[in-house]
Amino acid sequence: MDALLTKTKPAIESEKDSNQPKQKISGSEVLLRSLVEEGVDIIFGYPGGAIMPVYDALYHYADKLNHILVRHEQGAIHAAQGFARGTGRAGVVFATSGPGATNLVTGLADALIDSTPVVCITGQVFAHLLGTDAFQETDVVNTTIPVTKWNIQVTEAKDIAPAVARAFYIASSGRPGPVLVDITKNAQNEMIEAAEYHHCDAIRTYKPKPTLQHSQIEAAAALINEAKRPYILAGQGILLSGATKELKEFSEKTGIPVACTLLGLGSFPTDHPNYVGFLGMHGNYGPNLNTNECDVLIGIGMRFDDRVTGNVSKYARQARVVHIDIDKAEIDKIIKAEVAVHADAKEALLALIKKCKPNQHKEWIDRFTKLNDIEYEKVTSKEFNPTGILTMAEVVNHLSNFTKGEAVVVTDVGQHQMTTSRYYKYKNPRTNVTSGGAGTMGFALPAAMGAKLGVPEKEVVAVIGDGGYQMTVQELGTIMQYKIPVKIVVLNNNFLGMVRQWQQLFHGKRYSFTEMQNPDFVKLAQAYNIPARKVEKREDLQGAIKEMLAAKTPYFLEAVVGKEDNVFPMVPAGQGVADVLLEPPTTKA
Amino acid sequence: MKIIMKQDFTLEIHSDNNFSVLNRIVNILNRRRVRIKKLIAHEDESDFKRGVAVVLLFTTADMMEKVKRQLEKLIEVENAVYYEGSTEYCELSSRHSMINEQ
Repeated sequence: MDALLTKTKPAIESEKDSNQPKQKISGSEVLLRSLVEEGVDIIFGYPGGAIMPVYDALYHYADKLNHILVRHEQGAIHAAQGFARGTGRAGVVFATSGPGATNLVTGLADALIDSTPVVCITGQVFAHLLGTDAFQETDVVNTTIPVTKWNIQVTEAKDIAPAVARAFYIASSGRPGPVLVDITKNAQNEMIEAAEYHHCDAIRTYKPKPTLQHSQIEAAAALINEAKRPYILAGQGILLSGATKELKEFSEKTGIPVACTLLGLGSFPTDHPNYVGFLGMHGNYGPNLNTNECDVLIGIGMRFDDRVTGNVSKYARQARVVHIDIDKAEIDKIIKAEVAVHADAKEALLALIKKCKPNQHKEWIDRFTKLNDIEYEKVTSKEFNPTGILTMAEVVNHLSNFTKGEAVVVTDVGQHQMTTSRYYKYKNPRTNVTSGGAGTMGFALPAAMGAKLGVPEKEVVAVIGDGGYQMTVQELGTIMQYKIPVKIVVLNNNFLGMVRQWQQLFHGKRYSFTEMQNPDFVKLAQAYNIPARKVEKREDLQGAIKEMLAAKTPYFLEAVVGKEDNVFPMVPAGQGVADVLLEPPTTKA
Repeated sequence: MKIIMKQDFTLEIHSDNNFSVLNRIVNILNRRRVRIKKLIAHEDESDFKRGVAVVLLFTTADMMEKVKRQLEKLIEVENAVYYEGSTEYCELSSRHSMINEQ
């Protein structure tokens, strides 16, 4: 990777003699010092008029702050998300005012719904021009209120360091999320005395970590100890609180089966005997059907998203629900909990491990296995062993086997995402990076780039559809410039596959504007000096994947897959989880 | 069939007095399509860094509780309390108006 380009020493040196008058530094340098104090070493950004003082100061900070020049601000924030999801640390973004800042909005919304810590710094016009419709002036604070956990506009240099300290604290604590600090140009230029940086560890009105209520744990444990068919739904909260070990211990002690939500994949090993599968609209057969068979449903760090519940009025009506979540607003939001545990997942699990009795639920787990065997026979075996054109499933299956389920796999949105979630055998935390709640096409390529820069020691593979790939394909330029050895697999069906699937199943096969004429993807990658290969034949597939994984450079692999293949199982929109289909519904003659 | 009745609720929100706090509060109500009948907001006379908003809303009890929790998620919001009916709104708004006029 050529990501680090060392230039001169930072302009600022620490004051050696306290008797000397304090050195004056610009607001821009205050910002950069603050970032260094927060442990930041990489920034994804794009310069412009209103943030030029910061970029000028950054020139001298190249040995401390590694700036990655992306090709579009959306690429910057998705890269920061990928970095954050891979490392657990906040991703940092620089953008200019106006369009630079508004280009971040999609990524902010994505990071908010997927609880991803991101700190965005945007330049803003001079304070005296605010509200005057000045060039590239957009009301960024009000624009981003609904898509940030917190934001602030800073108009004086003295307020920059406290704002940055708050930003990192808020982004990373409690339920993480994106924050934005908008800094006017005069504040960036203003010279002030250098001061000691103070990290933020408390805000009067903000209580990120609730105190564990032992009465809630007692009530939850009582329900769990009585249960005959208990069932754990593990969400991303497990990963965010670092509770994967505790979840495993809890499941093993109590014998309770575990299914993972889309963002919860990686929180429980897929090869564990208590793992029963992936939940949701395209989740596994057993986990969906048995949601309506369990007697106690234990949601941990998950939010009962509509893609998990299907029709809420048909969801787990028989079950007594225990809901553990750090975010009080999630409790009773969708599904009424009989026992609500407002707590950090790790703390709650540690307490439950002590309170719950050892148990086994072999017969209950067998019921999942039998249903998943039906799915294997009707769906999986056909997808893994097709006779015609390549399937998405076999590509993902080979990728999973060759990487031993240990790569960081970054997916976009659509059929390829659901296929990867079903067939990639995630073993470790923070190896599944995807756009869940927002469903942002164009997420994967820049997010993979950011993840690779965050965890360079791990293999990072982006699996993308041909539609989403073209939404942020400009980031190939960033990959080329910094030689980021990310592996890119495009599953090309020349369609917006998931929309086409819905059109086929629910709109009388009227393929309204979903077929795509694509460029030569191999030539496109090669134009960016990225080695590339296209696979159409089954006999070439495994060799091509091995070649890709062996590459020390970025590598692009296009796999041509069935144009009208569908992803099953599927819970049709508006129907209950028990209505999950293993094949297309038969139409009446 | 269960009939879900909407009614008046008085919501009192204590927060920091920063730019955009009121926008954040109104955003949450708008997103949930909760009808705002009346609203009064002001900074705390004894500490301008703090503020209070009193809102008369027309919604269901279930929605009221959900909105309260979402409001309390806002970083600058200290707490949100609500009361059934509009009586409290009249009392709180007149009390706050009197404080402001002093």
